Amino acid sequence: MRVPADRAALATVTLLAAVFALFFLLPFAGLIDRAIADGETWSLLRTRQVREALVLSFWAATLASVLAGVLGTPGAYLLARGHFPGRAIADALIDLPIVLPPTVAGVALLTAFGRRGLVGEPIEAWTGFTFGFRTTAVVMAQLLVAAPFYVRAAKSGFDAVDPQLERVAYTLGASRVRTFARITVPQAWPALVAGTVLCWSRAMGELGATLIFAGNLEGRTQTMPLAVISAFEGSSLGLPGAVALSLILLVAALVVLAAFRLAARNGARS
Amino acid sequence: MSIEFEAERRLGGFRYSAGLAAKNELVVLFGHSGAGKSLTLQFISGLMRPDRGRIAIAGETVFDSAGGINLPPQHRRTGYVVQELALFDHLSVAENVAFGMPRERDRRRRVAELLGLLDLAGFEARRPRTLSGGQRQRVALARALAREAPVLLLDEPFSALDDTLRNGMRRELLRLRSELGLTILFVTHDLREAHFLADRVAVFDAGRILQDGSREEVFRRPATRRVAELTGVANILEGRVAGFEQGHPVVEVAGVALRCAPPVGRIPRTGDVVDLAIRAERVVLRRGAEGGDQPNQFSAVTAEQFAFGSTHTLRLEPAGAGPSVEVELAARPYEVLQGRRGGSGSSNSRPGTFMSCRATWTRPRRAPATPRATAAGAPRA
Repeated sequence: MRVPADRAALATVTLLAAVFALFFLLPFAGLIDRAIADGETWSLLRTRQVREALVLSFWAATLASVLAGVLGTPGAYLLARGHFPGRAIADALIDLPIVLPPTVAGVALLTAFGRRGLVGEPIEAWTGFTFGFRTTAVVMAQLLVAAPFYVRAAKSGFDAVDPQLERVAYTLGASRVRTFARITVPQAWPALVAGTVLCWSRAMGELGATLIFAGNLEGRTQTMPLAVISAFEGSSLGLPGAVALSLILLVAALVVLAAFRLAARNGARS
Repeated sequence: MSIEFEAERRLGGFRYSAGLAAKNELVVLFGHSGAGKSLTLQFISGLMRPDRGRIAIAGETVFDSAGGINLPPQHRRTGYVVQELALFDHLSVAENVAFGMPRERDRRRRVAELLGLLDLAGFEARRPRTLSGGQRQRVALARALAREAPVLLLDEPFSALDDTLRNGMRRELLRLRSELGLTILFVTHDLREAHFLADRVAVFDAGRILQDGSREEVFRRPATRRVAELTGVANILEGRVAGFEQGHPVVEVAGVALRCAPPVGRIPRTGDVVDLAIRAERVVLRRGAEGGDQPNQFSAVTAEQFAFGSTHTLRLEPAGAGPSVEVELAARPYEVLQGRRGGSGSSNSRPGTFMSCRATWTRPRRAPATPRATAAGAPRA
């Protein structure tokens, strides 16, 4: 026997949950509905602009993720294991780009690496190289905004590795390098993979910092999210183009989520 | 293979200062948790650095604060089994064991040998987390042995095991020690384990070694009152030296004179106040009559008793002069004493139970020396 008050509460909870679920599902349903109604999605996807945006986004995000791994892993390990002055501050600062609006990150990049930026200006004076408004800038913007997701995840992963395992490896004659490669990284592997996936997804979706630091140049700096913006602002793609691009990003996101879940489950089993 | 060890270290309010040496023997580091036993192993393995001291493993100096020597753990020849085992769960049993193996070895053959030695053949491909507690501990031991180090450091390696497994592992360890000629330092706070395994015992308390000697010596002749407490002496009585009788001190306790074993170390003088240690299992009880010319006899009655299955603990109060004493009896002598053959009704608390005891004295109060009393009456039960 259920108490009437509980029955009412259960009904309310169910209703709220249903409203919430609808709110989340309807936009995607709308997107798919529109793509079918337009009927030109498939041909739009094969236009040069979309193809270039897709290729650029994919490679830039992948490169940014690799760089995040190469540059971020040592830092994450130091944050997890090291004892150095300012560690707590460094740990807090990692989250800054996560909290900061990406447009601010873009402006900050510009002031540092732009043609008149802090290091951008001397570098151009010496070498003639400029960072801004080229593909390099896309990767840099994505790296700044997305890498903290990797570092954060990797640090938690290293935190969770029992230091005693490393100590025992030392007593078994393993050098610190060998211990890191054979014990620490494999132990933290699921977290490192999760961090990479998060980083890659965030890089794929990067808009604000890229727009300000790299600009919106077709074929050079125009990633998928930028192409969506352009489509709205009257590029040849139009609204159907925006829908088509959004659909691709949606599918990519779903694939990443599914792969992520699968990897996490396999990781838990082994 | 030998080890020489001497180290000092301050850790906050805790001060560690201890030294010991061992060669081809199993030394039990005994004491409560936090006494410095595990710390000793960490100093030797190189995982922790002493402030001062010198450590040599098999003749090679691995740490010397005066000479500025401090080899990293990788270059110290120790096999270390930590209390938590710290098996590598992402590696198979065989990979765990092979991890610390010298490179030039035929690894597969050697892994098979070690797993065979520890009764783990057939488990090569398993992941450690799929094994039972006892199997995991044996994997950890095999991994440490694979290092082929002359010194094995074991930190309560059998603590998680049930009694049957533990006894098996202990026997295995004694076999390994004699087969491989290892020097083993074994940390435990378990008295029975210490009894079973030790060639020698080092008793730790508050960062110091209070006594270091053969098992018999430490358990039967505790150097101080604290050692007696730590090693489970149930009766520690304060008495006064009344005189000497053929080299045996006679100590007066609660109105009776008890003859003690000749003391180790400094000899107290007549009139000194000393602590007297009488182990509960070294008291002989006889019912009814006085037992001839046995020393250290007095009459007592059973005040309380507790049954522990294989043993019984009795609290005896003196019927006249004498201290109250805790006595431990094996089940059979207990039944005989109680007049229960085959488990008939109980009869206890009767006066006229005579007790004779082996007393050991510890050092005089406020002056260092050593204690011990010798046994009196032969068991009669």
